[in-house]
Amino acid sequence: MCEVKPNNSAPTEDIGAERDWAATKAFFDSLKTNKPRPPKPQYAVTIAVSSRTLFDMVAERKIYEDEGLEQYVAYQVEHENDPLMPGVAFPFVKALMNVNSRLRKLYPDSEELFDIVLMTNNHAQVGVRLINSINHYGTLKQTLLIKSCSSIAAATMFMTQTETLSETQLRVAFDGDAVLFSDESEIIVKQHGLDTFFEHEKEFENKPLAQGPLKCFLEALGKLQRKFYAKNERMNCPIRTYLVTARSAASSGARVLKTLRSWGLEIDEALFLAGAPKGPLLQKIKPHIYFDDQMFHIQGANEMGTISAHVPYGIGQKYHKGKLIEQPAKKE
Amino acid sequence: MVSTIQNTDVKQKDADRAVVVAVTSRAVFESGADGDDVYGMGVAFPLLQALQRVNERLLEENPAESLLFDVVLITTDSQQQQQSSRIISSTRHYGLEVSRFCFSSEEDFVESLQKNNVQLFLSTDRNEVPQASQKGVLSALLDRQEAPSEQLRVMFCGDAVNRPDAGPMPASRQAAQSFSAQLGEMRQRFGMSDSPLSIVLMTSHGGRESCGGALRTLRSRGVNVDEAYCLAGAPLSPILSVVRPHFLLSDGFSGLED
Repeated sequence: MCEVKPNNSAPTEDIGAERDWAATKAFFDSLKTNKPRPPKPQYAVTIAVSSRTLFDMVAERKIYEDEGLEQYVAYQVEHENDPLMPGVAFPFVKALMNVNSRLRKLYPDSEELFDIVLMTNNHAQVGVRLINSINHYGTLKQTLLIKSCSSIAAATMFMTQTETLSETQLRVAFDGDAVLFSDESEIIVKQHGLDTFFEHEKEFENKPLAQGPLKCFLEALGKLQRKFYAKNERMNCPIRTYLVTARSAASSGARVLKTLRSWGLEIDEALFLAGAPKGPLLQKIKPHIYFDDQMFHIQGANEMGTISAHVPYGIGQKYHKGKLIEQPAKKE
Repeated sequence: MVSTIQNTDVKQKDADRAVVVAVTSRAVFESGADGDDVYGMGVAFPLLQALQRVNERLLEENPAESLLFDVVLITTDSQQQQQSSRIISSTRHYGLEVSRFCFSSEEDFVESLQKNNVQLFLSTDRNEVPQASQKGVLSALLDRQEAPSEQLRVMFCGDAVNRPDAGPMPASRQAAQSFSAQLGEMRQRFGMSDSPLSIVLMTSHGGRESCGGALRTLRSRGVNVDEAYCLAGAPLSPILSVVRPHFLLSDGFSGLED
């Protein structure tokens, strides 16, 4: 869902793109409002959200399923002046915007911000209602509406009833194996059991794990965090990161911490559960988003009111509660 | 000197209702070896096929349909003018649905466009496009496409940089309005999915207000766009490579967001 952008712009930068960017800057500068303009894409941390995670469109979805596309669009157009209710990613996006406004105060000329992109398969006519809804909440600055989503590795968010989350600090929690790290160790657990896993992790304690799909996002968050530290705002940093792993500190935790260190990455809190359920701990943390590769954990977290995002990567997709999911024989 | 020849292979369209699209023969055909009677397929070939498919589908929906694309092949320089018989025979060879051929030169091709009631002029030549547009003919530049889609895709740029308006609405704006209205009407003949024609809106530097405003303005003209992209300064080429429009219309589309 993101990539870490290099600090220097590539030498083969498109002149046309520069001209478009200059036109955008001029356009926003000429606006008589105080609304900030979107950051330049190649320096920003780009986060794409779908319309259905940003807004609650459950009722509308039912119309689409029961009555078809034309009726669905007609309904949306008829109601386009009724703002949609916030969806599961709404607090997350608000927290991102808060980080942006704190960064703008400290670094008024920097383009190193979150760039929120709305990507949706929705028909463009629904776009009017989406834009109206965004305007209604007044907090979101930048959108990009797209008809067909390209297949970027992403996380699926799940609806839940949550308590109010922090409006001043973005909290992002990550599972370890198959999220921040590759699923190499998880494969060992699934195929050879826990004892082999512990032995293996002890033996290879000093060998960094390979990176997982969300490592770059942690990296991007760390980069922005350091901008606050540089201005003496560590105690008041609006970004906080958590590692929530089933590993135990005593036996397999060291490798994880050493891996992070080898990557030059910090994580604010590392929580080793030694197999205990993640739900209660996450309930205390109250992250705006929690990334895990296993649906079992996602469901558990969800039941206890944590906004979770399933990362469809690795060996965990073939298992449910530790048992291999039987696949029907493939027909040639 | 301007001359117009009808293509007797093709049924002529209703002059009042058809949408006349002129494409330069240099864009449609590629010159092969001098010995060949028939040209190779040029940059605009997939576009012509897409226009043809829209017509076929329109007639499927209503055999008496008169709102169709009326494709005119036009030469824009004296050299091409010399090749008239090859142009005509190549057109026939490929079975292209071209109703007329206009043979003109650099000096008079715009006049030829106006005489033929051309509503959209498409060329691969970077000089011809602004020339025609300055005289009020809606024009767009054609480029070679990687993987052209079968579906006709037209992209409107909703917040094109405004040239300073001198007095009344520039002619090309009016041309843009009427063309987009006709396209919108054509689009309505089909359902939301499985349409042979897709209308795409893009706003390049404005924020979501520009995009929302443009969506509403187009809707008020009877144009329900299928896809919308609000770039707000993001680079255009990634979107173009995904959307693959056959051409992009920015001429005359500034101020849609107002």
